Amino acid sequence: MIANAISLMIIVPLIGALVSFFAGSKAKFVALLASLIPLVLSLQMYMEFDKTSKIMQFVESYNWVPTLGVKYTVGVDGIGFPLLFLSTIVTVLVIIYSWGETKKPNQYFALLLLNEVGVLGVFTALDFFLFYIFWEIVLIPMFFLIGSWGGPRKDYAAIKFFIYTHVASLVMLLAIFALYFTYQLPDGSRTFDMLTLLQATSDKTIFPTSLLNIIFAGLLLGFLVKMPAFPFHTWLPDAHVEAPTAGSVVLAALLLKMGGYGLFRVIMPMLPNVDKAFVTIIAIIAVLSIVYGAFMALAQKDIKKLVAYSSVSHMGFVTLGAVAFTWMSIQGAMFQQFSHGIITCVLFMSAGTIQHVVGTRVIADLGGLADRMPKFAVLMMAGFMASLGLPGMSGFVAEFMVLTGSYPTLPTYTIIVVFLSVATTAAYHLWAMQKAMFGPILKKYMNVHDPHSYELFSMAMIIVLTLIFGIQPGLITDMMGTAATQLMEPVVTLTQMGVI
Amino acid sequence: MDFSHYAPLWGEALLTALAVLVVLLGSLMKDSGKLMGYLSAAGIVAALAIVANTLTISKPAIFFFDTVSVDALSQFFKAVFLIVSLLVVIASLSKYTGKGADVYYALLLFATVGMMVVASSVDLVTLFVGFELASLSTYALAAFDKSKKNLEAAMKYFIFGSVSSAFMLFGFSLLYGMTGSTKLADIAAASLGNFGPATLVALLFVIAGFAFKMALVPFHMWAPDTYEGAPALVSAMLAAGSKKMGFAAAFRVLLIGLIALRMEWYLAFAILAAVTMTLGNLAACWQDNVRRILAYSSIAQAGYIAIGFVVVGAAYGAAPVTAFNGLAVPAAQLGIAGALLLILGHALMKTGAFIGTAQVASMVSASSEKDPDDISNYAGLAQRAPITAFCMLIFMFALAGIPPTAGYIGKFVLFSSAIYSGLLWLAVIAILNSALSLVYYLRIISYMYLKEPAGPKVSEPKGYVVALVLTLIAVVWIGVFPQSFVDWALQAAAVLLPQ
Repeated sequence: MIANAISLMIIVPLIGALVSFFAGSKAKFVALLASLIPLVLSLQMYMEFDKTSKIMQFVESYNWVPTLGVKYTVGVDGIGFPLLFLSTIVTVLVIIYSWGETKKPNQYFALLLLNEVGVLGVFTALDFFLFYIFWEIVLIPMFFLIGSWGGPRKDYAAIKFFIYTHVASLVMLLAIFALYFTYQLPDGSRTFDMLTLLQATSDKTIFPTSLLNIIFAGLLLGFLVKMPAFPFHTWLPDAHVEAPTAGSVVLAALLLKMGGYGLFRVIMPMLPNVDKAFVTIIAIIAVLSIVYGAFMALAQKDIKKLVAYSSVSHMGFVTLGAVAFTWMSIQGAMFQQFSHGIITCVLFMSAGTIQHVVGTRVIADLGGLADRMPKFAVLMMAGFMASLGLPGMSGFVAEFMVLTGSYPTLPTYTIIVVFLSVATTAAYHLWAMQKAMFGPILKKYMNVHDPHSYELFSMAMIIVLTLIFGIQPGLITDMMGTAATQLMEPVVTLTQMGVI
Repeated sequence: MDFSHYAPLWGEALLTALAVLVVLLGSLMKDSGKLMGYLSAAGIVAALAIVANTLTISKPAIFFFDTVSVDALSQFFKAVFLIVSLLVVIASLSKYTGKGADVYYALLLFATVGMMVVASSVDLVTLFVGFELASLSTYALAAFDKSKKNLEAAMKYFIFGSVSSAFMLFGFSLLYGMTGSTKLADIAAASLGNFGPATLVALLFVIAGFAFKMALVPFHMWAPDTYEGAPALVSAMLAAGSKKMGFAAAFRVLLIGLIALRMEWYLAFAILAAVTMTLGNLAACWQDNVRRILAYSSIAQAGYIAIGFVVVGAAYGAAPVTAFNGLAVPAAQLGIAGALLLILGHALMKTGAFIGTAQVASMVSASSEKDPDDISNYAGLAQRAPITAFCMLIFMFALAGIPPTAGYIGKFVLFSSAIYSGLLWLAVIAILNSALSLVYYLRIISYMYLKEPAGPKVSEPKGYVVALVLTLIAVVWIGVFPQSFVDWALQAAAVLLPQ
């Protein structure tokens, strides 16, 4: 077992970001190397990961600001590890996809690596102070990716993204303060330790329901904005439309997952102890996100905006599965996070490739591209099929588990979702695909051809992953199942686990 | 006479002597500007070393018939002033080298000494003398480049400053009349409550006098004009140093001398803080001149820092119900410590930011009619002057409170202390303001990094680069390793509270 594997995974991309910043045109090689190391480490961790264990694994803990009770504590369990794994995979593939980037490549790759530092930190931090720092660090590379490499309204989109999500983070920070100042360890000192604080929230004498409701609402807002859930999603279409392809991929595949991760890590342990009305509220938000996202996608003219709204819809399944609180729905929701994380890469890569090959993303202006771009068309088709939930691919398994698992506890909401979104989802995917790729080829597109092999490679790798996890979901759902079992029991702290 | 008894005050003595020496040598030697700069820098480093010696002095050392106290709080402020002054001198080495530079450095040194005296004084008269020494020196500095804008800025600053001094002095005289002493300890011991409305008048004048220096709304009018018009490096000194002197004085006078009136000033500061940060941030959103943006941002930051007073007023005397790491810390102490951390962080960030504006202004050709501080000059700064742009970028994020920086740690401790003492409404306003401030910080960042360059790449003067990089390291260092700074601030805060 590698000592300090998680810290190493966080530090290597950080150093890589610095080196690639000064590496000029060689930056992409540095970036690839610096992102492959965490991937190898995460594969190694996967091998060593005890899927049946309910305790935190690979834990490292050091004092950081003892006066304030801040520790550097990182570790993963069945909630965090799949997302950590996802982050390392996606970062490598995005770097390969962007191999041909010519505009300030050193900064571009440095930012992608810095982004990886942030997301890996968020998925592993077990101290609220540390968690919040990583949570905020992620904003910076994304701001510059949108702002420097984005489309015509990039400044607006970048600033809107930054401020909107920052406000939500600050509300979350207030809630963290409230947790921090309400709870004292037995020796009277304060702590930012996430598991300890979350476990304490179940004690009604320390956290009366009225107080916990407020704290809960603050944290929930922080996570729902990040996911994003209706009606807090308005920053997302702007950010996605203006962001460069790699930015969109990272945004949808990793940054949105931070919100979902927050639901599982922080919100669900508190859910049994807050006002029951929250369950209804969250369930309504989930259903609205799913249905509204699907209908909005149906109405889009820009294929990238369509994909962006499909993210809102798909992330709604995460919320629904989480709030339904059954073993299967939680597991399905976690798997949906992972599955959407990989599938959405293909969708955004497709939109990006169409943009730079054809010069437009407006669906009505496209047509018959499959004729000239056969390989690309196959991959894009596979991606769209995965996204609409074709059996045999990971998206189907995840959504099936969420819907099946949610029915016992939230039957009405589940039926609404099934009736209103399943057909719509299929419709917008197929319609966009049909219109853009098939049919007679337009004259002006006679000269287009398949994109670069590195772009096709990235897309193909993801399709392979989608199939692997679609046919054999147990590879990753086993540990999610353990985590789901764990979530339905009270939280166990690191001290009780005997880890620190 | 045994001078070693006065060892903790050698720093002030050294700088005073040096300032006189600089003027003398400057008038004897020709073209000695650069040398004077180096001398001043060396002197400040030496003074810093002397202060560092007593940085965490546990028992206050009292001098000059109970008028000057050397304690953890005074040393905290002195360290801040000396660091700001050192950074400004280093940056000035690239600008003030010619004729008259000796006077510039001497004035900087005198201003620094004045601030240090204020930090240590526990007597109203000593405090006033230090205040005036620092103020008069900076009035002259504000006009130092002798441009029309300079003169206007200095004039405004001088008039507002004099009026505020008058207010303050009037308040002091009332306090003296009521209590028969100018010593803060005696004033605290006298039962001020017996004097009815007169105490309120005195309090009003004292707060108004300090609030001018701290640039709290509605006493802030001079700040944007002065910070915009004065030479950029002097603006750094004003925003980062002189302004903090106002806080140093206010902490002592209100928390020690007038603690009996805390319910009155608590309310005043609650309103001042909320209004100041909101108006400061809103006004900054509409500015096109970067130094005006920084000026309003520094007004807003003063509003945040003022939260420290509110926390003390709300939680003074409350038993320490908590323990951090086994050590009992009352909410009031946490509030002061947060304010001190933000003072330290803001002093660094603002010094850096103003040095950055000096660099940009130097890039705009002198013949151009354009305002040298206009935000359009910052377009593409990342390509024209990469080091300056990168440092400015970090300072902007730090000012906005993005982790891991000094600005974040200061806000973190301060806002959390507000929640801790039950001031949720104030914490919410502060947090919303913090988000609002991103609008103009991101605007500067997007000009520097996302826009096409406004001109060719330029070489960055060494003095500026050294000062900027040093500041950058400090800002990030405090953010990543806050432990020792938090402890230091808590220790300094303890001086103001009954043991």
